Amino acid sequence: MTATTKGPAARTAASGPILELDDLGVVFTTETGEVPAVKGVCLQVRPGETLALVGESGSGKSTIALAAMGLLAANARATGSAVIAGTQIVGAPESGLAALRGKTVSMVFQEPATALDPLTRIGKQIAEVIRNHREVSAKDAAAEAVELLRRVGIPEPGKRARAYPFQLSGGQRQRVVIAMAIANEPGLLIADEPTTALDVTVQAEILDLLRRLAAETGTGVLLVTHNMGVVADFADRVAVMYRGEIVETGPVEDVLLRPAHDYTRRLLAAVPRLSVAAVADGTGRPPATARARTGGPAAGPSTPPPGSGAPGDRTPDRPAGGSAAGSAAGPVANRVAEPVVKLRDVSVVFGRGKAAVRALGGVSFRVEPAQTLGLVGESGSGKSTAARVALGLIPPTSGTVSLFGADLARTRARARRALRAGIGVVLQDPVASLDARMTVGECVAEPLRIHRRDLSAKDRQAKVAAVLDRVRLPREVARRAPRELSGGQRQRVSLARALVLEPRLLVADEPTSALDVSVQEAVLEVITELQGDLGFACLFVSHDLAVVQHFAQRVVVMRAGRIEEQGPTGTTLLHPETDYTRRLLAAVPVPDPVVQRGRRAERLATLAAGRTEAQA
Amino acid sequence: MSTSSYLIRRVLQAVAVIVIVTIVVFGLLHALPGGPARGILGPQATAQQIARFNHEQGLDKSLPVQYFYYLGQLLHGDLGTSYTLNEPVSQLITERLPKTLVLTVLSALVGLVLAVPLGMWQAVRRNKAADYVITTLSFIAYSTPVYFLGLILVLVFSQQLAWFPSQAPQGETLGQVFSDPQALVLPVVAGAASMVAVFSRYMRSATLENLSEDYVRTARAGGSRPGAILWRHVFRNSLTPVVAMLGYYVPVLFGGALVVEQLFNYPGMGLLFWTAAQSSDYPVLLGCVLVIAVATVTGTLLADIVQRIIDPRVKAGRA
Amino acid sequence: MSAVIQPDTVPAKAAASREASGARLAVRRFLRNRLAVVGLAVVVLFFLFCFAGPLVYSTDQTHTMLQQVNLAPSGSHWLGTDAVGHDELGRLMYGGKVSLVVGLAAGVLATVIGTLWGAAAGYAGGWIDAVMMRIVDAGIAIPALFILLVVSAITTPGLAGLVLILGLVSWLVPSRLVRAETLTLKNRDYVLTLRAIGGTHARAILRHILPNSVSTVIVAATFQVADAILLVAYVSYLGMGVRPPQTDWGGMLSAGLTAAYSGYWWLILPPGLAIILVVWAFNAIGDGLRDAFDVRGRG
Repeated sequence: MTATTKGPAARTAASGPILELDDLGVVFTTETGEVPAVKGVCLQVRPGETLALVGESGSGKSTIALAAMGLLAANARATGSAVIAGTQIVGAPESGLAALRGKTVSMVFQEPATALDPLTRIGKQIAEVIRNHREVSAKDAAAEAVELLRRVGIPEPGKRARAYPFQLSGGQRQRVVIAMAIANEPGLLIADEPTTALDVTVQAEILDLLRRLAAETGTGVLLVTHNMGVVADFADRVAVMYRGEIVETGPVEDVLLRPAHDYTRRLLAAVPRLSVAAVADGTGRPPATARARTGGPAAGPSTPPPGSGAPGDRTPDRPAGGSAAGSAAGPVANRVAEPVVKLRDVSVVFGRGKAAVRALGGVSFRVEPAQTLGLVGESGSGKSTAARVALGLIPPTSGTVSLFGADLARTRARARRALRAGIGVVLQDPVASLDARMTVGECVAEPLRIHRRDLSAKDRQAKVAAVLDRVRLPREVARRAPRELSGGQRQRVSLARALVLEPRLLVADEPTSALDVSVQEAVLEVITELQGDLGFACLFVSHDLAVVQHFAQRVVVMRAGRIEEQGPTGTTLLHPETDYTRRLLAAVPVPDPVVQRGRRAERLATLAAGRTEAQA
Repeated sequence: MSTSSYLIRRVLQAVAVIVIVTIVVFGLLHALPGGPARGILGPQATAQQIARFNHEQGLDKSLPVQYFYYLGQLLHGDLGTSYTLNEPVSQLITERLPKTLVLTVLSALVGLVLAVPLGMWQAVRRNKAADYVITTLSFIAYSTPVYFLGLILVLVFSQQLAWFPSQAPQGETLGQVFSDPQALVLPVVAGAASMVAVFSRYMRSATLENLSEDYVRTARAGGSRPGAILWRHVFRNSLTPVVAMLGYYVPVLFGGALVVEQLFNYPGMGLLFWTAAQSSDYPVLLGCVLVIAVATVTGTLLADIVQRIIDPRVKAGRA
Repeated sequence: MSAVIQPDTVPAKAAASREASGARLAVRRFLRNRLAVVGLAVVVLFFLFCFAGPLVYSTDQTHTMLQQVNLAPSGSHWLGTDAVGHDELGRLMYGGKVSLVVGLAAGVLATVIGTLWGAAAGYAGGWIDAVMMRIVDAGIAIPALFILLVVSAITTPGLAGLVLILGLVSWLVPSRLVRAETLTLKNRDYVLTLRAIGGTHARAILRHILPNSVSTVIVAATFQVADAILLVAYVSYLGMGVRPPQTDWGGMLSAGLTAAYSGYWWLILPPGLAIILVVWAFNAIGDGLRDAFDVRGRG
């Protein structure tokens, strides 16, 4: 390939940094005035190095990535300096930037679903990037595009090059975006949350791919992410952002294991960590360090604890925290009581005839009183569908659902409505969960208006105030509009609404996955505490194995509409019985670079072993 | 969904729509005061005359029977006989429909050819002076009754400047219509004006929407120049919803043709309909309505199929 | 909340002050749209002109005055007189009342019918939705002008009848818009939550879906009024408008059509321009409202 011999401009200047930000600032002009998003940021990325830019939402990390590409929105203004391979980006004309983008610097975006032109074949989209920068015939560019697809691991690249984006899975689309990014072997790759929209197993593959490609060509990588596990897996150095500024920079092991800044410490303390046992299949011997380190969920590393206060702040005082493994026997004793929800052999088929899709097949599980059942799985596993069946929102095609001992299919509408007074619901999206036209108080009072019509307005207000106290929101928010609240506060409003009738069952469908880790921790803490006080059962749907491990006593692992395995959390998530669960667990990156290195080696060895077995 | 099952479903839907239209048309026929008989025999007709007429025309049977009788006639291509012209309605329509189609298709083409680039240009120059000017002009074009616009066109370009004749071509055959292209200019312009207005607005908002899509950012990140992005990616993506709208615009085009034909004395279906309305020639009126409904439903169907061809996602049933 | 890191609370305060009120934000956005503001001004001026104008500029619009037909504009008749001697400026006010009131009423009626129909179809879903939308398709398949012409062949309605007929032929577009909106809203998380905890359909529709469709409906109504005023103009042209001595702008325009060739421009330009201006203004307002509310609607 011509590109390899030509080599990017960056490599010749290998000594200096490929990206250098100096006092970079970004200000957004909004309808309500100027909002500074990034202030005085200085950082460097050297060739061959990966710098992770971490922070919570709104910290300005993605803004920096776009500013470095000169891709800021029209209402944003950059100040200071951003230099890529000797070219100043801030204030550069669009034509100059176009010559640089895709050649010297490339970008991989968060949302593979929308990053590609839906009406253009993927091979053509890759070829376009090639021909933007090199005098190559259309035919040669097409051939090169196929080769790039092969390099990013797309099977049958010749055939797939003629596919449209919608014909590919999310992971494959992200591979195509990566192929476009590396088409001209850039000196710098900016990856903005490249795996956030992907399932954990796909995330692991994409990270492997990026790591390999960067190593092959000595590309510098600026990785923007909120996920500390991804940082531990991928980064050489880390810069931590907080409210538009970098608060800490350093080698990954220093920052993740010995954080210097108070914010970094709090952030790390809030990250739920997956406890892992030794892998049981014996394909590779896990490094001793990993075993030692992963003994407890508090991740008490052998290195000095990240901030003396941090470990004490979390897990130990949580009822369903680190003791999840040991407490599995506890709920079993409660089994004499009737299950709160019971699904028996439930199947759900959407559509009819040839277009029919089986969303669930033969799903059976039960939620015992006062117990938390975690429902985990990747996208398309049917976990949310199962929760909706339990809620009676989706009628099962076959099988039975009973709620508080009553078969939902056999109860009359009125009785069914009464039964539902015992359910509280919290769904994923903090914005869509609350009606923007109501005040917070009206939102929380809505279940009372449905089921307790005897209450006077005063009693209703009193109940709303009391439940707001419980979820630790100030009573004044009752008069505010939902849009005035932050995501975490809104989820607590949803929780208050769910609990205002003191339900026997709380169904929480990814209640914290749209939230930052620190906010997630606070919300989960409130749920745990209230569960202790009120004794409701909980059906907890999540894609996050670490959260489920901390939060649930029993777990159901789902895959493609079926139950893969279920059991006490401590057993199932530490000593899984099926390969699938094992793979799922192995793919979760843990926020400890040393442990994660071991886990990665182990995972790759297992995969390789699996492959040779399959070939044999 | 496969193409064939999609086609079958769409055609069934179209048939359902046409059945509903026949019920509406049939209902209108019988909503006439004194029934169709009074309308044609005139206010002086005696009760006996009306009864005899009703019997001859099968109008004394029960409504459902009449409806199925009517449907049966329709299926044989029998739309009845014109009260005033004494010719089969189907024959009258077959003579005039092609001329109306020529007018509407020409208007639509002229309209689209102007509207699409105009809308894209507006989107690119969003909130600049040119955008405001074109927006204002399109709203004006949209807000002008076609007959007023036609009148102004005739006054200016025919009476004052004498560039174009004030009458449309009067030929009986299509060939004669095309032999006088000068005379087609004003009717086509009058018919296209509101089309330009509506579709430049659609194109503008579709382009704006696409310009803010992620894939535009991806293309920029790959070093593509703005012009190339606009032409290679945004244009096609913006055109798809516009094509879908085209199907729904067919009735508006026919509505415009009604007025334009009357105004420029163009012997198409619109003029036929107009004269029929003046003489309460119900079989012609209702026959025309039916034919236009079928044309509209077919147009919508075609637009759907075209959209399916240019957008592979629709074919997969995802969009 | 020991472990709660600042971001949870800080943006809340910032958000509170920043977007104090969605309505206020919408008003501000609307006011920034120059075309929309001009449109609003034009509508207000026309209402003043038609309803307050006759108090200042009083004319006789009932009697024919054959001694002063087709006079050109002059000091005593600012816009001249028409074929039966009515003062054209006064007639513009007189006819404008009918055009504005009928247009407004018909536009609102069409929106109300369309909203109810669309919301019912969208919420019901399934075969009910399919049947209801096929009826809408059938309605769209017959151009309104053709139906109006058929109706005009049958009867000449009064004012109320006119409003009713116009409403009945133009509710289809808003019904499609509202249906689409309802389809999205009924799957919003707060509606799902409501249903899961035993809320009734009535509550879902009345408390959540309709209130949240308000902005879509308002925008649709504005465009609908514009279309209705235009349609009123066509109706007179088709010969089923209000009967003399009453009139409307469309009636004045079609009455002046024949006179236009004789050079009596003052008989067609004023009503023509009045129609264009008012319809333009309602469209501009609708466009501004759509941007301000950030709802999808017609382009």
